[in-house]
Amino acid sequence: MTRASYEPMTPESVRSASFTSSRLGRRGLDEGEVRAFCEYVSDGLGRLINDNSMLQAEVMRLRERLLEGKGRSGVQPEDGHVQAVYVLSKAQQTADRYVADAQEYSRELAVDARMRSDEILREAKVRASMILEEAHASASRAAAAVVRDPHDLPAADRQELQAELAYLRTFSDVCRTHLRAYLESLTRSIEEWERAEHHGAIAAKDSVRQATQRLVPDGGNPDQANPAGGKRAALVREPRDRSG
Amino acid sequence: MDERRLKESFARAAAYGDEVALFFYSHLFLGHPEVRDMFPISMAHQRDKLLSALGQIVADVSSHDALLPFLRGLGRDHRKFGTLAEHYPVVGASLLATLAHFNGTAWNEDLARDWTEAYTVIAQVMTEAASNDEALNPPWWGATVVGHERRTLDIAVLRVAPDLPFGYVPGQSVAVECEARPRVWRYYSMANAPRHDGTIDFHVRIIDGGAVSSALARSVGVGSRLRLGAPVGTLRLDMNSRRDVVLAAGGAGLAPLKAIIEQAAGLDDPPRMHLVFGASSVTGLYDLADLEKTAAQRPWLTVTPAVSGEPEYRGETGTVADVIGRRVPPTDQDAYVCGSSAMVAATVNRLKSLGVPQNHIYVEDFGWSES
Repeated sequence: MTRASYEPMTPESVRSASFTSSRLGRRGLDEGEVRAFCEYVSDGLGRLINDNSMLQAEVMRLRERLLEGKGRSGVQPEDGHVQAVYVLSKAQQTADRYVADAQEYSRELAVDARMRSDEILREAKVRASMILEEAHASASRAAAAVVRDPHDLPAADRQELQAELAYLRTFSDVCRTHLRAYLESLTRSIEEWERAEHHGAIAAKDSVRQATQRLVPDGGNPDQANPAGGKRAALVREPRDRSG
Repeated sequence: MDERRLKESFARAAAYGDEVALFFYSHLFLGHPEVRDMFPISMAHQRDKLLSALGQIVADVSSHDALLPFLRGLGRDHRKFGTLAEHYPVVGASLLATLAHFNGTAWNEDLARDWTEAYTVIAQVMTEAASNDEALNPPWWGATVVGHERRTLDIAVLRVAPDLPFGYVPGQSVAVECEARPRVWRYYSMANAPRHDGTIDFHVRIIDGGAVSSALARSVGVGSRLRLGAPVGTLRLDMNSRRDVVLAAGGAGLAPLKAIIEQAAGLDDPPRMHLVFGASSVTGLYDLADLEKTAAQRPWLTVTPAVSGEPEYRGETGTVADVIGRRVPPTDQDAYVCGSSAMVAATVNRLKSLGVPQNHIYVEDFGWSES
């Protein structure tokens, strides 16, 4: 093989390499195969040289960019710790925000629950006193009627009076049914709220019970032969009865 | 050490506000991850405390009379957080790095020397106070909840039994931490005079969204463990005074005043006391039954409940200040006031207009804020 020993190897030099024929009688290589192999090597080498120069250009470009960036942001290797401090600070702030959000959410829930409980209690008071007033009115009408001796009355009047009394009894029952239904729905609302505010609602229920007892005293029932406390107690059932 | 230079460099850093404390703690935790566990998850409140403490130290740097008691208190107080002498240099290094960072090009060798000197003194006073306290007190008192009663929607009364004797003066308060909110401490007043069995009552008002108060009222129950710091506070009965006493309590602000009443009950010659206990609703008068029982047995004690939010209430209506204006004679007397900031401010004003001098008015402002 003939070639200048110190020239850099190029795809061309591989492709154009020539070999002297072997002397007669000695075994030589198939010239075609040798040439094909040289072309194969030449192609590979060409690719490698291209890749190499591209990579070198890339290295230069990156190095320049790095130097430029250094001048711009003033980042020094020893600033790595400061960067870490900032990263940790960001993480801490995120954690702080999550905690603050959760607290704010719980605050809103509590405020809302408190408002609802106040509202429920206020409504209960208004409703109970309204029902009570009506009951009182019926009672005085009935009482006024009873004062007159029914035996002195003509039969027609007596019948009318009895009808009136029957009506009043029914009215009173309706009143109490309404009141009971309302208080039950009220207790249900409180129960719902209690799920969020676990123990607190007991105090609210106590207040409802107290309010009911204050506002619906026994004497207010016009149709009661027995002003049974047991009936009144049934208006607001004990919390235990409902928990199951 | 140049004090002016010190103050200037601190002011330059402090101008960055929260960022300074944020940097300081991140620097500290990066270098020493093991101390992170001594702090709560959310650091927002912690950063405020750091900045205000540093601010106070720097402001008082030239007046040792004010600074030394503050630093000693701080040193003793840090025992409950588990702070040890070896933590001090670590904190000092992060503090210097933080100040250097925020002073930028203004930072120099002289400043570094000034701050190192100053911090060395601070750390020395704090560690000395802490080690003196070690001989007398544990770093904190473990305590078991032995009673837990939810009195109203907002107020729970806890009875706790400390593991070791816990001495305090009625009227004082203590930092409390519960297992549900580790490393978050909130102050509560002891609501009783010291008892033979050592148990202590706390009146906990739930603050909407408050981490500790809601945990103490809801998650904590009989058997739960608490940690208590050392007792603090200056609200205490003036034993040398011969004047009558008016006690003004807004809601759970009753706690320290109840302790003072119990203390007076133990005296040979208790002063005449008039307690005005205020709430917005009747149910908010969560301890009235007990107070009235006490008053029935003690001729020197008068209890007046005041309800501000229910005009149909049959007793005294209006704020504590209103009722004091109506029921308390306008004379010089000793006044003890505890409640929300607004209640305290209004009541103190009313007392002054009744002729009670400022120096006879003792105040505990609960603030009612938690973060």
